[in-house]
Amino acid sequence: MSSPATSPPALSISGLTKRYADGTLALEDLDLEIPAGSFFGLLGPNGAGKTTLIGAVCNLIRLSGGEIQIFGRPGTGMAARRMIGIAEQEPNLDKFLTVYETLLYHGGYYGMDRSEASERAEQMIDAFDLRAKRDVEAPKLSGGMRRRLLLARALLHRPRLVILDEPTAGVDLELRHELWRYIRALHEQGTTILLTTHYLEEAEALCDEIALISGGRIVARDSAEGLKRTYGVDTLEEVYLRTVAGGRIALDVMEEVE
Amino acid sequence: MNPLPPVDVEPHPWRGLAWLTRRECHRVLKLWKQTILAPVISSLLFMVVFGLSLGDSIAEVNGFEYRVFIVPGLIAMAMAQSAYSNNSSTIFQARNDRYLDDILSAPMSAWQVHLGYLAGGAMRSLIIGVVLAALALPITGAPLEQPLALLLSVLLLIGGFGALGIIVGIYAQSWDNQSFINNIVILPLIFLGGVFYSVNRLGSPWEQISHLNPLFYVVEAMRYGFLGAADVSPWLSLGVVGAITIALLAWAQILFATGHRLKP
Ligand SMILES: Nc1ncnc2c1ncn2[C@@H]1O[C@H](COP(=O)(O)OP(=O)(O)OP(=O)(O)O)[C@@H](O)[C@H]1O
Ligand SMILES: [Mg+2]
Repeated sequence: MSSPATSPPALSISGLTKRYADGTLALEDLDLEIPAGSFFGLLGPNGAGKTTLIGAVCNLIRLSGGEIQIFGRPGTGMAARRMIGIAEQEPNLDKFLTVYETLLYHGGYYGMDRSEASERAEQMIDAFDLRAKRDVEAPKLSGGMRRRLLLARALLHRPRLVILDEPTAGVDLELRHELWRYIRALHEQGTTILLTTHYLEEAEALCDEIALISGGRIVARDSAEGLKRTYGVDTLEEVYLRTVAGGRIALDVMEEVE
Repeated sequence: MNPLPPVDVEPHPWRGLAWLTRRECHRVLKLWKQTILAPVISSLLFMVVFGLSLGDSIAEVNGFEYRVFIVPGLIAMAMAQSAYSNNSSTIFQARNDRYLDDILSAPMSAWQVHLGYLAGGAMRSLIIGVVLAALALPITGAPLEQPLALLLSVLLLIGGFGALGIIVGIYAQSWDNQSFINNIVILPLIFLGGVFYSVNRLGSPWEQISHLNPLFYVVEAMRYGFLGAADVSPWLSLGVVGAITIALLAWAQILFATGHRLKP
């Protein structure tokens, strides 16, 4: 679903820099704009800075520099945070809460009232096939169930921008396809999605735009087709190998093509 | 089932605070054997062993029977330790397992998160204090002379030790760090702060040294609230405890506001 041209971008990042306390420069003067309503893929090798970028957007790291806006609202404000739902790379579930409570309390933290949060929690329990585990605490769930609960929690408060950091890592084939279906349907309903993944076929199947990140910088950005055309190759994998295998070389190639 | 479209809702940070408070209280009650029962039993044991058995062989202290004299300090000790250890462990767990992120990314301001985390230790400490007082006052015959002063000292104690727990929970590198602070700092200082004796009787220089111990004023403030008498003026003890509490709350607030050690 595309949004009117007048609506501000879902995510607008300018000059984002993050240097961790140990000196690691994880993001360097990064600019990125994700239009409202898009299904956006962020691809890059281990350590490229994907999780750091997501953390910056969700108030989970301290920025070293730069600015972030969510649907035109300042990223540090409450309104912006209310509009984001995040499923982190590593499942981080409250070990004192059951599946139902995890969802209920999350709704509460995000400002929903009790009856609304409770109703929504039950919906998500059904949608993510967790009914049999409704009253089980998070540490007693299997890995795949935790992953599902993590997603259910991210979506519970019906955010406009959903950020999924490797949602399908370590997930079996069947569940992966179910998740794809669900996330696609979510996108069709008007939710903007930012997805990171190491499965290139997943990115190609789902995303209408892809950015490649390497060494804390965006090195290329286009639709999957556009990227293949630009680099004159047949698969996204080849694009990936050319760009992020050596970010500098990739930039040179891009300039030549342009 | 088909997903629903996104909705635009105003953020309600107050509700977030209410739910975080609930979550913290939920944790305390879920673990009630460790969080409430164990500290109540150990304080009662102190009262029985020191008060009722030794009590007869010890002369009155400052005009009070010994078993009455030790009640306020023991209640203060139990309340201080529970407010501290509750908050240090809940914050440490939330940081360590990273489920703190669900709070940090939620639309709540720093001081709302701060208040929510203070709430669990406050509730736990209050339950313990009320249960201990309800048992100890009738058994020992200890009075409750200055309810307002007692209320004020309880609030300061809960705020101060709760904030200290949060600070240690935020700085702790490992699980052991918090119990280390409890065993090496809080417990000895509170014992030396005159839970079991009147520091007036120590004589120079131990009396003067005891007056440098901040926890001495915590015990004195609580003792004044219960017994209506103490070694130093209640204004002095409430003043010292109040100043320390405000400083600790400010420190904890700065940690939440800057994200120092909470966020990489
Ligand atoms: N807490 C931290 N302290 C110091 N350095 C960090 C921290 N977190 C990440 N880094 C470093 O920042 C860089 C980017 O890491 P990040 O987690 O953002 O990568 P990523 O693209 O998500 O990788 P992956 O695909 O493996 O998840 C890496 O060099 C990493 O070692
Ligand atoms: Mg990552």
